[in-house]
Amino acid sequence: MDRIDSLPTDNICGLRVRPGKPLPFGVSHVPGGLNFSVYTSAGERCTLVLFHQGAPEPFAELPFPSHYRIGDVFCMVVFGLDFEDLEYGFRIDGPYHPEKGDRFDPTQILMDPHARLIAGRDVWGQDPNWQRPYPYRARVSLDDFDWQGERPLEIPMQDLVIYETHVRAYTQSPTAETAHPGTYAGLVEKIPYLKQLGINAIELMPVFEFDEFENSRLHPDTGERLYNFWGYSTVGFFAPKAGYAATGKSGMQVDEFKQLVKSFHKAGIEVILDVVFNHTAEGNERGPTLSFKGLDNKTYYMLTPEGYYFNFSGTGNTLNCNNPIVRSLVLDCLRYWASEYHIDGFRFDLATILGRDPWGAPLSNPPLLESLAFDPILSSCKLIAEAWDAGGLYQVGTFPAFGRWAEWNGLYRDSVRRYLKGDAGMVGQIAQRVLGSPDLYRMSGRAPATSVNFITCHDGFTLADLVSYNDKHNEANGEWNRDGGDDNHSWNCGAEGWTEDLGIQQLRRRQMMNAFAVLLTSRGTPMLLMGDEFGRSQHGNNNAYCIDSPLTWVDWTLLKSNADLQAMVQALIAFRHQHPALRVNRFDGPPSSLLPCSSFHGPTAWQPDWSGESRQLAWMLSCDHQTPAGDPAVDIVYVATNMAHFASWFALPAAPEGYGWQLCFNTGDNQQPILRDQPRIDSGLLVGERSVVILQATPLPTPMG
Amino acid sequence: MSLTIESISHPSHHLINLSGEVDTKTATSLMDALAELELAALLELRIDMADVAFLSSAGLRALLFAKQKMPYESRLVVIGANTAIVEVITKTGLTEAVTLVADVSLLS
Repeated sequence: MDRIDSLPTDNICGLRVRPGKPLPFGVSHVPGGLNFSVYTSAGERCTLVLFHQGAPEPFAELPFPSHYRIGDVFCMVVFGLDFEDLEYGFRIDGPYHPEKGDRFDPTQILMDPHARLIAGRDVWGQDPNWQRPYPYRARVSLDDFDWQGERPLEIPMQDLVIYETHVRAYTQSPTAETAHPGTYAGLVEKIPYLKQLGINAIELMPVFEFDEFENSRLHPDTGERLYNFWGYSTVGFFAPKAGYAATGKSGMQVDEFKQLVKSFHKAGIEVILDVVFNHTAEGNERGPTLSFKGLDNKTYYMLTPEGYYFNFSGTGNTLNCNNPIVRSLVLDCLRYWASEYHIDGFRFDLATILGRDPWGAPLSNPPLLESLAFDPILSSCKLIAEAWDAGGLYQVGTFPAFGRWAEWNGLYRDSVRRYLKGDAGMVGQIAQRVLGSPDLYRMSGRAPATSVNFITCHDGFTLADLVSYNDKHNEANGEWNRDGGDDNHSWNCGAEGWTEDLGIQQLRRRQMMNAFAVLLTSRGTPMLLMGDEFGRSQHGNNNAYCIDSPLTWVDWTLLKSNADLQAMVQALIAFRHQHPALRVNRFDGPPSSLLPCSSFHGPTAWQPDWSGESRQLAWMLSCDHQTPAGDPAVDIVYVATNMAHFASWFALPAAPEGYGWQLCFNTGDNQQPILRDQPRIDSGLLVGERSVVILQATPLPTPMG
Repeated sequence: MSLTIESISHPSHHLINLSGEVDTKTATSLMDALAELELAALLELRIDMADVAFLSSAGLRALLFAKQKMPYESRLVVIGANTAIVEVITKTGLTEAVTLVADVSLLS
């Protein structure tokens, strides 16, 4: 039966219309037409602007009659539109008093903040027509997909091994040998590799629509074009980046991205999105007006009393996240990605901004963070905070977590880097880090998996560069090496950059293996950076946010040339999955039937050397568990690290009765770092200089007869 | 551009010959033609696209709509689609629902 509100009541500009519904915001399909809904608190008049796809001029401009406004929402149903050929925007008229925060300008066509499909940057790097009015155009998505019963995986956080990736950088190089380089479809082609590596979560650097041409410029010396390559500057919060889709030209990025999620889930790999809610692509008072500025500037942005933009993000503006309107936009957005795209989790860029009040002061109980933590649709999504911002707020360990939020643990990164290069006074720090940082998280009742442990991420050196460069080399960014951090805690092992010295090459290789060995035997949630497992380099660039070239693209030939490193990482990940003792998610974990849940050792068993000069530490982790067959078992792992420049004898703690030690990994063994035959070790072993050994205790074979 | 639809019943399968463009406007007539078939009992539907220049997102959905109505063990074969259409079908993962063949002679 037809609904009685499915017929037009009015005619505007030759189009049949009727008053719409305020929810949902944005555009939605209704019988025979499309419902448009947009919010503005201080805008006085609103006009719906309609374009045929790609047309320079609109074919219709429909002013909203006054009775089409409910509260602060303009809403209208327009009948008879061809939604596939449609691009739409809004003009809002109202006061223009920047000093009071109002910047209404009816000459601007504004993008729908809820747009689920955005045209304008359909093919990556294709020069846009700069003269075209309304550069990023909202389109209409169908929001349907055949999931075939697939659903989010809900892998417990402590069991995850996260792999941070950039969609384009991962497969753009011809060495990736994919049919669809640099796209979602290209990434799907790499799933078999990732599955074999053993990771079970992929974290994608921003995929919300952004403009790679934002702040694009030519390198002052080389003339090379520099881009917004990483994408930490959102144009549309509800739309996947079209330029990352092989089908972006046909406007099918929604289907292609959903297919990506479905394919990853089929392979048992979760998809986590890096989301940027701290600022938008509209910049400060000199930046363009794309959407929020013209819709409701003072609602969406944090403004100084004079009407200027607060800049806690370091990028010009700061989204006013704890305003109820913005809060609901963020919540709507994440609910949409979780329900419509089956996304498993979110990592929030500069997340402390989400806990600031409209004037920038940190809130003790931020409503947005609380809403996200307790939202029913997001209840099984991972929420991961980058717990610092450019305004100087650093909340690692104190981020308002509401029992739900995990954090990128910056202290883990710094401590492990310093320990690996042999800094004095680090063993106490390392003891905290490998147990999931109880010094940071225990008092507030959080668990080890709260700590996302990482040594490298997109921001900073790659692992190969961490062991090859003492200093950053960011000349390619065109800022005379002034950009990027200087606190890298890196060590070049004896020569800056590329070297023919075999001893240095060998040490670097061992240091990379040491890093992975520590990372993958630490409690908490480990995260790897794409390509680090086979020694990806950016030639010392620690801030390659603007480089779209082989410098940032993953070079897949390294997979062959560094096959031993990759095999080591793969084996370490498999070892982590096999050993529940490494994944215990309680700081007060009960002892196993045979041993404490965790204990520390030095060259002498049960006697760690906590002195400032000590560079040796071993940890033994144990828990009770059940074998896949359901039998009770005890898991025991022992990791000995020696970051001194000399070898040390480590006496092993006595294995429990009936158990014996088996050597599984030895980074000090250049020929055979993975010991596939897992030889039995009795009382102790020599741990080479700057080396890590990993052992497991397993039941001794019962004597026959 | 318009879409011409020719629907022919065979003992072993049903054949739809398409000619023109499948977009929002014309996908409706394709949907209508599909709705006229007894899809729930159809084991093989062949859609000849050799003369189709363009298939939009609405066109893709018409194919999926047909496959969803057909029995689980059935197959929907798209014959002779041009490279652009094959690319779109492949990248959006529709190959799980659709069998692509270049030529009818390749069908058993």
